[in-house]
Amino acid sequence: MIFPEPRFAPSGDRYLLVQFGDDASLALNFMALGLDAALQTSGTKGVVDTVACYNSLLVEYDAELIRFADLKAELQRLIAGLGPTSALVIESRLLHLPAMYADPWTAACIADYRKNIAERPYDPDFVARENGLKDGAHLGRVHAATEHWAVTVGSFPGLPLLRPLDPRCTITAPKYNPPRTWTPQGALGLGGVSTSIYTVRSPGGYQLIGRTPVPLWNPTLANPAFKGEVVLLRAGDRVKFQAIGREEFEAIDAQVREGRYVYNIIFYQKFSVAAHEAWATNLSGGPPP
Amino acid sequence: MIEVLKGGLETTVQEWPGRKGWYKVGFPPCGALDGVSLRLGNLLVGNEPGAAGLECQFIGPSLRFEADAIVALTGADMGATLDGVAVPLWESVAVRAGQVLALGPARTGARGYIAIASAIDVPEFLGSCATYTLAGVGGFQGRALKAGDRLPFGHSSGAIAGRRVRADRRPVIDGSGVWTIEVVVGPNDDWIDEAGQARFFASEWKLSARSNRVGYRLDGPAWTFTRKAYDKAPENGSEPSNTIDHGYAIGAINLGGQTPIILMNDALTLGGFINPYTVISAAFSKLAQARPGERLRFASVTVDEAQALRRAQDALCSKASVE
Repeated sequence: MIFPEPRFAPSGDRYLLVQFGDDASLALNFMALGLDAALQTSGTKGVVDTVACYNSLLVEYDAELIRFADLKAELQRLIAGLGPTSALVIESRLLHLPAMYADPWTAACIADYRKNIAERPYDPDFVARENGLKDGAHLGRVHAATEHWAVTVGSFPGLPLLRPLDPRCTITAPKYNPPRTWTPQGALGLGGVSTSIYTVRSPGGYQLIGRTPVPLWNPTLANPAFKGEVVLLRAGDRVKFQAIGREEFEAIDAQVREGRYVYNIIFYQKFSVAAHEAWATNLSGGPPP
Repeated sequence: MIEVLKGGLETTVQEWPGRKGWYKVGFPPCGALDGVSLRLGNLLVGNEPGAAGLECQFIGPSLRFEADAIVALTGADMGATLDGVAVPLWESVAVRAGQVLALGPARTGARGYIAIASAIDVPEFLGSCATYTLAGVGGFQGRALKAGDRLPFGHSSGAIAGRRVRADRRPVIDGSGVWTIEVVVGPNDDWIDEAGQARFFASEWKLSARSNRVGYRLDGPAWTFTRKAYDKAPENGSEPSNTIDHGYAIGAINLGGQTPIILMNDALTLGGFINPYTVISAAFSKLAQARPGERLRFASVTVDEAQALRRAQDALCSKASVE
């Protein structure tokens, strides 16, 4: 639900959280991204950092430069100037990302969890069953059949949270409880309606469905594909997964290690919210077979 | 150069306030947990207050200096000695080439700081020398120090031994084992019912041993929720404390199931749990010195009060505090 008026709440003495609504619809994310962009271009003094997410924008501010009440008033002014969400046209790059579904590395991680933390089913088969799909292989086909929208980047450096742009490919999954203590780098996780890509070996709670050999952040700043940036994806980019087998995974992994891997990024497209809405509302049928 | 003879439990290069401006792509600020102690130490040796020094957690390192230096120890008392002779805290000290500065376990408090005139000289990553061990970047090779490391520091100019932090300006690390930590209510306080809110402020919370620079886990009574925590769309997640992912403030008290976790300087930048309360920035120097097993009590302050406390703390971290 979109709130009639955005809600503003302090988080301590340095942060303000704006919430536009309470669901995970794309429209709310567009509002958060729109406000984030407007705030950057406004040059509002005292803004230290922001985190846009599904339906909210967190703003870190320097209280010596701007008061909470003044920041709130400025954000209200910017929101009023945003215009209708459907009119938004967003610069959106498309990254083709190879991924092996039901791969042996996340399988080993799940086995380790079973041994040391708690019994649980094998994630790809479990998520497939929960979503009425045949098996882990079918889950991979459905997951790779849609473009995924980068709602935000964060929790760990460069980690994107993605949701499918084709509603027929929506897959939902509960999170681990208790969470994992480790997840291999490059793992694809599903939690709620989101896919995350673990950019560093880290704890986690999403169901593991596959792994990509391609890094999404660049700690040495030496990778030319990143054009000097430390992370590859930004909120508003799209990802299309390309299912690969083990042999191809290992070949790409070797290219990455030798610095020969060529990222497949398309950056001549823009994303029209209105055109997407028109397309998505006229779709028929269920997920691909 | 400084040769590391013993790394201590987890000693990292940190500055203050850390790596700012990269939160939106997933980098937490990192930096010294006790920014007051690091800043006062730097002032003692003539550095910029936020310059890079060493944060020593629970057990400090042993360091052999290959060149003369002026250093200052602040924060937790780790029983430091220089070639076996006790070194005072809150005071600048001359170290001669070849001498060994040895720290041990913290007697009170949890984190000691070593400031060195002209500062630790490590390359910046995204504009900061703060170590982020989870991602392996910043500081010295992105990790805690270990035996055999050689740490460069610059040439000191004008720093002198014998400067002291005025007695009335030193943070109190008294070992009483109970800390009062100020919070601002929100942003997700409306998920906690009235009884739960009262219980939060009335209870003592034990700092769990599973606490670190990422998060402080607290043991205490069970949480109770409002209807909002149950009547919600499935995409929120199955636990009452699950919500749709949102950005996290550093200091947020993040409710993972029934376990509150204070998000510290190396925390995740966003996630899917509620944050009913947020610890204020001025309380971090106290949190930094709390030891596992010690108890926290929370006190509610307004945003204005929290900002006034921060202003007073920043004023304390000035040359006027050094004599």
